[in-house]
Amino acid sequence: MGYVAVKGGTLAIEESLKRIKFERIKQGKVLDVSRIEGGMRGLIDQIMSESSLYDETLAALAIKQAEGSPEEAVFLLRAYRSTLPRKHYSRAVHTREMRVERRISASFKDIPGGQILGASVDYSHRLLDFDLMHETDEDAARWLKAFADDLGSVNEAGRPPELMKVMDYLIEQGLMISPADDNTEPDDVTRKSITFPASRSQKLQVLTRGQTGTVTSLAYAVIRGYGALHPTVGELRVGSVPVCIDDPLGSGSDDEDSYYIGEIKVTEAEMLMSAAVAKEQGGKELSFEIGYGLCYGQNETKAIAMGILDHSLEQGDSRFPTQDQEFVLYHIDSVESTGFMSHLKLPHYVTFQSKMNDVRKTKMGAAASRAGEKEEVEEICK
Amino acid sequence: MKRKQRTEILIEGARELAARMAQVIADRYEVKLVEQPSQGLVMVKVRETAKRSLFYLGEVLVSECKVQVEGSMGIGLVKGHDHELAYQLALIDAAYQAGLEETRGWDQALLDEEARIDAMRSQAFAAIAKTKVDFETMDVD
Repeated sequence: MGYVAVKGGTLAIEESLKRIKFERIKQGKVLDVSRIEGGMRGLIDQIMSESSLYDETLAALAIKQAEGSPEEAVFLLRAYRSTLPRKHYSRAVHTREMRVERRISASFKDIPGGQILGASVDYSHRLLDFDLMHETDEDAARWLKAFADDLGSVNEAGRPPELMKVMDYLIEQGLMISPADDNTEPDDVTRKSITFPASRSQKLQVLTRGQTGTVTSLAYAVIRGYGALHPTVGELRVGSVPVCIDDPLGSGSDDEDSYYIGEIKVTEAEMLMSAAVAKEQGGKELSFEIGYGLCYGQNETKAIAMGILDHSLEQGDSRFPTQDQEFVLYHIDSVESTGFMSHLKLPHYVTFQSKMNDVRKTKMGAAASRAGEKEEVEEICK
Repeated sequence: MKRKQRTEILIEGARELAARMAQVIADRYEVKLVEQPSQGLVMVKVRETAKRSLFYLGEVLVSECKVQVEGSMGIGLVKGHDHELAYQLALIDAAYQAGLEETRGWDQALLDEEARIDAMRSQAFAAIAKTKVDFETMDVD
């Protein structure tokens, strides 16, 4: 039987697309994008981080269209992003300038500026709150008013204090070496495919836009034994950092003459690992190293996991899959991995036909061979 | 006032301030629209702290507009979907670039707004600081 090329299915596809819309609205209820933006902060942050596109409203729209499926929402945003021109590159953002909303250290109790819990579910009981079944906008307004009254009026003047970074504290104490600025222009995996061995900028870019679950699982594997680390959170901070661009029409790069375009919320994790550093005359000295995690939104698990994987990949011992750059970086992207799984659903008639022919041939060969053996035996027995 | 300080105040401050300043320029000068307000992307470069290298964190959706006033180009650039503010920022930027006399009277209004923004941010931080942990050291016998 020859291969058969087929076409068709246009009408079926049109009807299928109607079905997907039907499934989204069949209960006669439509989600308001502003309500998704207001109440689904966690999912929005995850989608923005995985799609590598910062815009809460677009993320909310993608979530609505995708009926809450993160992989589909990320796909939609990546596709939309590809239609927009990239107009500028920002000046280097520094997390020291972060307006902190939450900042903790699991390594040091008494960090300068203190442990600021901010908004976190870490200390909640994780009991389902059935009151939310009937929560109304009026309930929310009442609660917000009471919350504001409780805070009282704080007569603060001047700028809020800048919180010292735990890492700077360690450097100050002589427990860590302060590296010099590396001003190598970063590679961009969205413009040029990753190459191996990957540069540090490629690694960090792929990790920060990685699928949250995959980044987390691989980092978990590092700690469970498929790696060689047991890190501690040196500092975890969540807050807003300013983004500025140089004057596109000017020639200089004066920071004060740059354009401020707004703030973006990020989560930064500096994971501390102790490491032996070789000294003179074969001696060794213990010091601390940092695994670095930074991602859009409040994505604490992902930022911590990214920090673990960053340090793991820096080790580069190929005995451990989590230190193998290709293993980690080629399989961590949401659109690439879910896209590959999805493509398996698309017609593979020709490929499968070829496999069927192979199977048939093998079976026919085996049957012919068995028939031949039988004839041989009969011949001998005569 | 330098551009970074000015644009931060105009973007983070009250919307009326940018609207008022832009209106003054639009009323008194001929404004040539060089680039309609449109959507685009800014790639965010970050300085990481482990090895102090640079990498790209991702892109940010921005609105951008370009205008010309008295022969000087002004650019308006703001995060998100805000074409109106992008246009106003471009007008104000062009006014400063052209050294229009109207801009000389704006600095005080901008500084007042900056003080208000700082106070709001300080209040927000003071509220967050209520979640600061007060450790009690337990007695050890």
